[in-house]
Amino acid sequence: MERKTIDLDQGWAHMQSGIAKLKRILEGLQEPQFSSEEYMMMYTTIYNLCTQKPPSDYSQQLYDKYYGCFDEYIRTKVLSAVRDKHDEFMLRELVQRWSNHKVFVRWLSRFFHYLDRYYVPRASVPSLNAVGLSAFRDLAYTEVRANARKAVIDLIYKEREGEQIDRSLLKNVLDIFVAIGMGEIVQYEEDFEVQMLEDTTSYYKSKATIWIESDSCPDYMIKAEDCLKRERERVSHYLHASTEQKLVETVQHELLVNRANQLLEKEHSGCRALLRDDKVDDLSRMYRLYHKIPKGLDPVANLFKQHITDEGTALVQLAEESASNQKTTSGSGSQDHVLVRKFIELHDKYMTYVNNCFMNHTLFHKALKDAFEVFCNKTVAGSSSAELLSSFCDNILKKGGSEKMSDEAIEDTLEKVVKLLAYISDKDLFAEFYRKKLGRRLLFDRSGNDDHEKCILTRLKQQCGGQFTSKMEGMVVDLTLARDNQLKFQEYLNENSYVNPGIDLTVTVLTTGFWPSYKSGDLNLPSEMVKCVEVFKGFYETMTKHRKLTWIYSLGSCNIIGKFNPKTIELIVSTYQAAALLLFNNADKLSYSEIMTQLNLNNEDLVRLLHSLSCAKYKILLKEPNTKTISPKDSFEFNSKFTDKMRRIKIPLPPVDERKKVIEDVYQDRRYAIDAAIVRIMKSRKVLGHQQLVSECVEQLGRMFKPDIKAIKKRIEDLISRDYLERDQDNPNTFKYLA
Amino acid sequence: MIFADGITLLCNDIQVDPQDIVMLVLSWHMKAGTMCEFSKKEFTEGLQSLGIDSLEKFREKIPSMRSELKDEQKFREIYNFAFGWAKEKGQKSLALDTAIGMWQLLFAEKQWPLVDHWCQFLQARHNKAISRDTWSQLLEFAKTVSSNLSDYDAEGAWPYLIDEFVDYLKENGVNQHGQINDSSLN
Repeated sequence: MERKTIDLDQGWAHMQSGIAKLKRILEGLQEPQFSSEEYMMMYTTIYNLCTQKPPSDYSQQLYDKYYGCFDEYIRTKVLSAVRDKHDEFMLRELVQRWSNHKVFVRWLSRFFHYLDRYYVPRASVPSLNAVGLSAFRDLAYTEVRANARKAVIDLIYKEREGEQIDRSLLKNVLDIFVAIGMGEIVQYEEDFEVQMLEDTTSYYKSKATIWIESDSCPDYMIKAEDCLKRERERVSHYLHASTEQKLVETVQHELLVNRANQLLEKEHSGCRALLRDDKVDDLSRMYRLYHKIPKGLDPVANLFKQHITDEGTALVQLAEESASNQKTTSGSGSQDHVLVRKFIELHDKYMTYVNNCFMNHTLFHKALKDAFEVFCNKTVAGSSSAELLSSFCDNILKKGGSEKMSDEAIEDTLEKVVKLLAYISDKDLFAEFYRKKLGRRLLFDRSGNDDHEKCILTRLKQQCGGQFTSKMEGMVVDLTLARDNQLKFQEYLNENSYVNPGIDLTVTVLTTGFWPSYKSGDLNLPSEMVKCVEVFKGFYETMTKHRKLTWIYSLGSCNIIGKFNPKTIELIVSTYQAAALLLFNNADKLSYSEIMTQLNLNNEDLVRLLHSLSCAKYKILLKEPNTKTISPKDSFEFNSKFTDKMRRIKIPLPPVDERKKVIEDVYQDRRYAIDAAIVRIMKSRKVLGHQQLVSECVEQLGRMFKPDIKAIKKRIEDLISRDYLERDQDNPNTFKYLA
Repeated sequence: MIFADGITLLCNDIQVDPQDIVMLVLSWHMKAGTMCEFSKKEFTEGLQSLGIDSLEKFREKIPSMRSELKDEQKFREIYNFAFGWAKEKGQKSLALDTAIGMWQLLFAEKQWPLVDHWCQFLQARHNKAISRDTWSQLLEFAKTVSSNLSDYDAEGAWPYLIDEFVDYLKENGVNQHGQINDSSLN
C-alpha cells in the first residue's frame, strides 16, 4: 500500500510534542517516562519523513531542525540558568545542565536515529551525537568557560591554602572541558590547563619567595615534597591525567630549580651543613627531590664534592701541622699512619652516603672520586701520599708493626688501601716504595704473614694490572726458591765436608730484575767470611754456569758471639757491623781512619755503623772522646766490660733514607716511559699534531702517573734530536715519525 | 783545503771583512761543511754555480749575494744552514757562545727586537748548547710572534726553551715595544 506523503510541517508538529515532553523531563518537572509507543512514534515519524521520495525527502531539513532543538533550548533555558549564578553555584548549575544535555542528546538522537544511518554518511556530515555536543560547545560552553575556569582555579587555590573543597564537583566540571574536545585533549588544555599552570606557577613562585627566606633547607624540602604529593593527588582526584607531568614540572621548577642555589647553599642548613651534621634523612630527601629534574643533581653533587674535598684537605693540613710540631720526635711515622687511617675512614663514611642517600648514582661516585683525587695527591711534611700509603702497608704487614689487628681487619684494611691507591696519580712512585719496603720485609724476615702479602698483591694486580705487580710477585717467589736452594746448599756441604767454612751460612739468591737496585759495596770481608763466599760460589756453579752472582753485604746479617768479661752474649748484627767488630779480634784500639781503610767503606756508611755500635743503646765499642756523634778523629776500643741482662741482643743498624733515591729512580723511569709512549704513538700514527700527541701520551701513561706537560715537551725535543721524529716542514705544530 | 789564513787572503782580495755576513752567504752557496774551512770541491763547485771565474766577477757578485738576505725564503735557508756550518764537527748541538754570535749577526740583517733579550736569557738561565730544533724554531718565533707576545700560543709545539723565554719575558715585564725591565740585569 502506498504510504501517504507527510508534509514537513505536519511531521514536525508530531515531533514537537515529544520534544516538549523531553524538555519537561529535563527541567525536572513531573512527567511520566516515554512509553514504547511514544518512542516508536517519534522514531517512525522521522523514518517516514526521510524515506519519502523527493522532493519530500526531508533529511537535510530534519538534520537542521535537530540542531535547532538544542539551539533553542540552550539559548532560552540553559545559558541564563548558568549565567545567573556565580562561583561554586555556577559550577554546580553548569554540571547539572551538562548532565541534562547529555540526556537530551541521547534521547533526541534516538528519535532522529535514522538520519545517522543514511543521511549522515551520505552527506558526510557530523553524527547526531557530535552535533549535539558541538551545540553545547558552541552555544553554552564558549560563553561560560572563562568564568568556569576562573571558578575552578579559585577553588584550587582555596584547596592549596588548606580549605576543604568539593572535589567531585571539580571533577565533573573538568570532565566537561575534556568531553567538549570530542576525543582531542586540546580544548581542555587551551581552555583550562594553560591558565591553571600559569596560576600554579605564580602561586608557587610567591610561596618559594617566602619559604626560602624563612625556612631551613630541610623544612623547605619537606614542604616541597608535600606540595608535590598534594599536586599529584589533585590530579588523581579531579584533574586530567595528562596534566600530571606538566603540573609536577611546574611545581618543581618554581620550588626546586629556581631556588636550587639559595636552598642548597644555605649557610646553616644547606647541603654542606647536612653533610656535616650527618642528616641522612634530609639528604635522602634532597636526592629524591632533585633526582627527577634534568641536571638537578649537578649542584648537589658539586656541593658533595666540595665538602669532601674540604674535609680531606683539612686532614692533610692537620697532619702537616702536627708533623712540624713533632719534628724532634721520631714518631713522624705514626702521624702518617694516622692520616691514612683517617683517609680510609673518610672514604668509608662518604661512600656510605653515596650508596644510601644518593642511591649509588654515578654522579656521586664521580664526585667522591674527584674529591679524593684532589687531596690524596697533596704532600705532607715532605712525603708524598704514595710514600705514606706504602709505609702504612709496611706497618701492617711487618712483624711488630704498631697496629695489632685481627686477620680479618688486616685484609679489610688492605683492601681499602688499595682502593685509595686508585685516587693517587703517582702510582709508579707507590710501586717503587712498596717494592723497597717489601724487599726489607722479605729479606729480614720481617713479614708478619705470607697470606697477607699475597692477598694485597692480588688486589693490586686486580686494580692496576699484572705489570704493576709482576716484579713484586717475582720477589716473593724468589724467597720460596731461596729456601729450596738453601736445603740443596746444606746437602752440598754435607757431601763435601772439606769445603765446609766452619760457619753456618745462609745465602738468599735474588733475581736481579725483580728486586730494587741495591748498592753492592766493596766491603773488605773478614777472612772467615771470605771463605764462606768462596764455598757458596763453588756450590752455585754446580747448579748453573750461566749466572753471575753479585754479593750485597749491606743486606746481610750475622750472629756473633761476644766474649765479654761479665758474660758471653750473642750479638745479632748486620754484616757490616760484624766486619767492624771482628777487626777488634786483632787490635785493641783502632782509629776511625784505620777502620775505614780496613773495611773500605765510605764515610756515610761508616759513621752510621760506628754510631750504632758506640753511641746507641748498646755500647759494644768505647769511643774516645765520649761524645754523641762520630767524628773522623775518634778512636774506638772493644768494651770488654759490656753486659746486659739478656743473653742475646739485637743491635739494629738504622737504614739509609732511601726516599731521594726512590724518587730519582722513578723520575728516570718516567722519562723512559714517556719516550716509549711517544715513539709508540708516533709509530702507529705516522703524522700527528702536537696537542694530540701530548693528550694521547697523558692518556696512555695515566695508569701509572700524571706526566708533566713540560716533561713531555722535553722528551719530544730529545727524540727530535735523536732523529726519531721531525717537525713537518709546512706546519711546525705537527710531527712526523722517522722510521 | 782552504783554512783560516787562506780565507783571510781571500777576503782581502775581494775587499770584504771576514766577519761580514756575506761570507756566510758565500759559504751557503758553496755548501761548506764547517765555518772557516773550504774544501777544494766546495770552493770550485761553489764558484762555478755562482758563475764566478775571475776576481773581478767575484767582487761584482758581492752586492747581489748581500741582497739575497732580503729574500724571505733564502734567508730562512741561509739561517738554517748556518747551524750546521757553525757547529763543531761531530757535535749535535751548537755551543752557546757561537750561537749567540751567529744570532747577533743574522738578526742584524733581519730586525728582531727581542734578540738581545733572547741572548741575555740564554746566558742567565740556560748556559748550555743549542739544539737544531730550537735554532730553527727560533726563526719561526721571531717571524710569527709579535714582540709583546700577545699572540703566543703556550699550548703550541714551541720548543721548551722558547716557552721558558716567554715566561722569562713575562716575569720581567716586557712591554709593547719589547723593552724589558729586568732588575737582575742592572
